[in-house]
Amino acid sequence: MKTSSLAFSENSEISIVSKKRKRKRRFNSGRVSGIAGCTIVTCLILAAIFAKQLSPYDPSSQSGKPFSPPSAEHLLGTNDIGQDILSELVYGARISLTIGIVASIVAMVIGTTVGLLAGYYPRVLGRVLMRFVDIILIIPFLPLLILLAAYLGRSLVYTVLIIGALIWAGTARVIRSQVLTIVKQDYVLAARTIGASDLHIIVLHILPQVLLLAVGQFVQATSGAILLEAALSFLGLGDPLQKSWGTVLYWAQVRGVFLTPAWKWWVLPPGMLISLAALGFALMGFALEQVINPRLKNNSK
Amino acid sequence: MRSSRGNRILEYLVVFVIAVSLNFFLPRLMPGNPLALLAGVDVGLMTPEEKAKVKEEAGLDRPLWEQYIDYWNDLLHGDFGYSYKQKAPITKMIGDRLPWTLLITGSSLIISAIFGVIFGAISAWNRAKPVDIGLLWTMILMGSMPTFWLGMMLISIVSVDLQLLPSFGAMTPAFFGTFWESVADVASHTILPVITLSVWSIPGVYLTMRYTMLSVLGADFIRTARSKGLSEKTVLFRHVVRNSLAPVVTVLAIRLGFAFGGTVVVETVFSYPGLGRLIFESVSGRDYPVLQATFLVITVAVLVSNILADMLYPLLDPRAKAN
Repeated sequence: MKTSSLAFSENSEISIVSKKRKRKRRFNSGRVSGIAGCTIVTCLILAAIFAKQLSPYDPSSQSGKPFSPPSAEHLLGTNDIGQDILSELVYGARISLTIGIVASIVAMVIGTTVGLLAGYYPRVLGRVLMRFVDIILIIPFLPLLILLAAYLGRSLVYTVLIIGALIWAGTARVIRSQVLTIVKQDYVLAARTIGASDLHIIVLHILPQVLLLAVGQFVQATSGAILLEAALSFLGLGDPLQKSWGTVLYWAQVRGVFLTPAWKWWVLPPGMLISLAALGFALMGFALEQVINPRLKNNSK
Repeated sequence: MRSSRGNRILEYLVVFVIAVSLNFFLPRLMPGNPLALLAGVDVGLMTPEEKAKVKEEAGLDRPLWEQYIDYWNDLLHGDFGYSYKQKAPITKMIGDRLPWTLLITGSSLIISAIFGVIFGAISAWNRAKPVDIGLLWTMILMGSMPTFWLGMMLISIVSVDLQLLPSFGAMTPAFFGTFWESVADVASHTILPVITLSVWSIPGVYLTMRYTMLSVLGADFIRTARSKGLSEKTVLFRHVVRNSLAPVVTVLAIRLGFAFGGTVVVETVFSYPGLGRLIFESVSGRDYPVLQATFLVITVAVLVSNILADMLYPLLDPRAKAN
């Protein structure tokens, strides 16, 4: 989250750059990262959807000898109980991506709601809400996540909810600052003069204006959520029945695989997949931001 | 953007109260036997005296608010309770672990400060050139790697395959040697954890430095400095870098707090006997009292580093004092 909010603020620099250069830069990093990010994310999502067709074995049943190295039958070898690692990873995409995406949707909904309310009612409610946002941002995420997961138990639903409930604060901040400027515009005033209710104005006039921004925040949050889930599962706090990439690494750690040559097919691939997924969403977010950053628009006026 | 100093201190207090209250209410309100959640061991394994002791210490038969006040009272006297699993007072356990965590977080903070600032400055100074784009992409890549995985890979490659550095613990068990040999031994054990933590925190420092420096570069006083005919070197070091450092220091102080959280996975991978490893051990052993205490200590560390950041900022940037 920290880095994504920084990456966000980083773009106002572009307004300083002359227009010609701006176009060139956009072409360089914006488009390239957008295309790269979309490609990575699409491939991973397709793999998750077609996991059944793509994986050579059922990941939950024993399909070979335990600890076998890569071979023609098992491209990435087998784990400690003889399950095919490649199949585990293909199916793991489902769990890792689902948790990352759903947790970010939860965060987007909470963050956008809080941002809308705080921006529309800036006096009392807004102050209280933003103070709350500040507080959430100070609390150390990972230890709190671990504490909650340890008490609530290891389940997919809790993991999603806990991550979602902790990463929305950045989104709320961004949405609020945008709402603050929208509220001052003429059409909002006009709607108010003809007697439109607050709810009507928020939902029909303001929400559509910040929706794209919320989507941009969602994409960036997904990158962070995937990494958080991986860390949580790696510590053994993931759902034991739903193996994610982090869970595969947890078992590799428990069995001390990284001390043996087996790290090349058991530790390296899942970590690369996690990095790739986080990178894909981060690049997409970076590219989206170049297009929708409100600061960029305001400055160019 | 930051709220006023008084408000910040109020926020820190609220965070502290929330953390303590979470610790107090979680075991008491969760379904299941609160005795097990409070003691952190299987109720069946406890002796009747131990059961009575837990009950009495937590005051389970008294009203909730009385328990709450007692809980605060113990805490403020530095008493974190007793680990029935480890048969040791928790305050002592934490005291044993804290120095190791401070050693690796402190070292990685220095390293990420140096590299983050230098790379950020290079990037901003060469804006949109290949160096900048290359560095930016590298940093985004570094930020996408799971920390614990990087640690595992370093162990596999550097410790196991190349046999260069130790992979386990904070020092060689039963090591006998002169003082300097022991120092070298401890140092060699810190290298890999520190590299892992640094790779995790450099991108944040880098992005802040790059962003701040870019906005400073666009400021009027830089144009003035240049038009006065000052050399590029003078402009860079005396005007640009100097004015970019204040936000970086703030980020660093906040990072220090985050690093305490990051140690959970890093110390787990390297079996490093710090606070993070203690969290992992207490999670897998269901030693709830220890988990709670460690969570609280880390929260306090985060708060202290935030206060540090608040205090340092006006010293580095006198303009901030005006507010």
